Amino acid sequence: MTPPIPPVPPAPPAPPAPPAAPSGGSAADAEKRASFEREALVHLDTLYRVALRLTGNAAEADDLVQETMLKAYRAWHQFERGTNAKGWLLTILRHAFINEYRRRTRHPETVDIDAIEPFSVFQEVQDDDPQGTFFDRIVDDEVLQAIDTLPEQFRETVVLSDVEGMSYDEIARVLEVPVGTVKSRLFRARRLLQQKLYDYAVDQGYIKGSSK
Amino acid sequence: MNCRECKEHLYEYLDREITPQIEREIKQHLEECPPCGEEFDFEKLFLQFLKARCRAQGAPPELKRRILNELFDE
Repeated sequence: MTPPIPPVPPAPPAPPAPPAAPSGGSAADAEKRASFEREALVHLDTLYRVALRLTGNAAEADDLVQETMLKAYRAWHQFERGTNAKGWLLTILRHAFINEYRRRTRHPETVDIDAIEPFSVFQEVQDDDPQGTFFDRIVDDEVLQAIDTLPEQFRETVVLSDVEGMSYDEIARVLEVPVGTVKSRLFRARRLLQQKLYDYAVDQGYIKGSSK
Repeated sequence: MNCRECKEHLYEYLDREITPQIEREIKQHLEECPPCGEEFDFEKLFLQFLKARCRAQGAPPELKRRILNELFDE
């Protein structure tokens, strides 16, 4: 008795057609290139700064940005022209970071950010330096290092807001959280950063520490 | 608006992410309450300081060349 002939498996689905015209599309290619340069590549500095803060490492940031641009270029036909290219690119970058880089560059965090309730530095300094002029003695690298010590969810929120100047709504879209979450993270992130910079300024003798 | 309500809107006010109505109420409170005014000034200066310290860095020119080569000169 011959065993029943197994049914022929269905043919695997054809791979998706490449987005660009495969050949002879030089005019289309040129248009694609021009629009990508005009709308996407102009955000290179933003992508780099965000990548640097996410990875904490210049070589990884280079690779992450390069990969982001490559993915974005391949998917460029899906981008809705005239909408927010910066947000679209940052979403690609962040997904690439979470999926491929975070494991290598930083360990997953175990910090409970909801438990972080930093105090107000203003309350500490209002008698001695109510304008916070001691901050001015802290230089760029020291501020960036302090940002790098924030928990990741705080770090990315501060970078998108205070470094890149994005609105709450734009940040909420990139981070895929409600606007209310952006507000509460931003509040605690800024306070925590302020506290770290204040502690640093006290260590450096830029301001007298509280005797409390 | 009292001090506590005013401070609840601190960053939304400084980030200009607030309705015109609440913005007016905060402005009025700040004019009438010097301690809150000082605290808002302190936070405003802090945010200006942060922006000034963090924006200088751009992508290295070498990275841009690498990306242009990879995208367009295949």
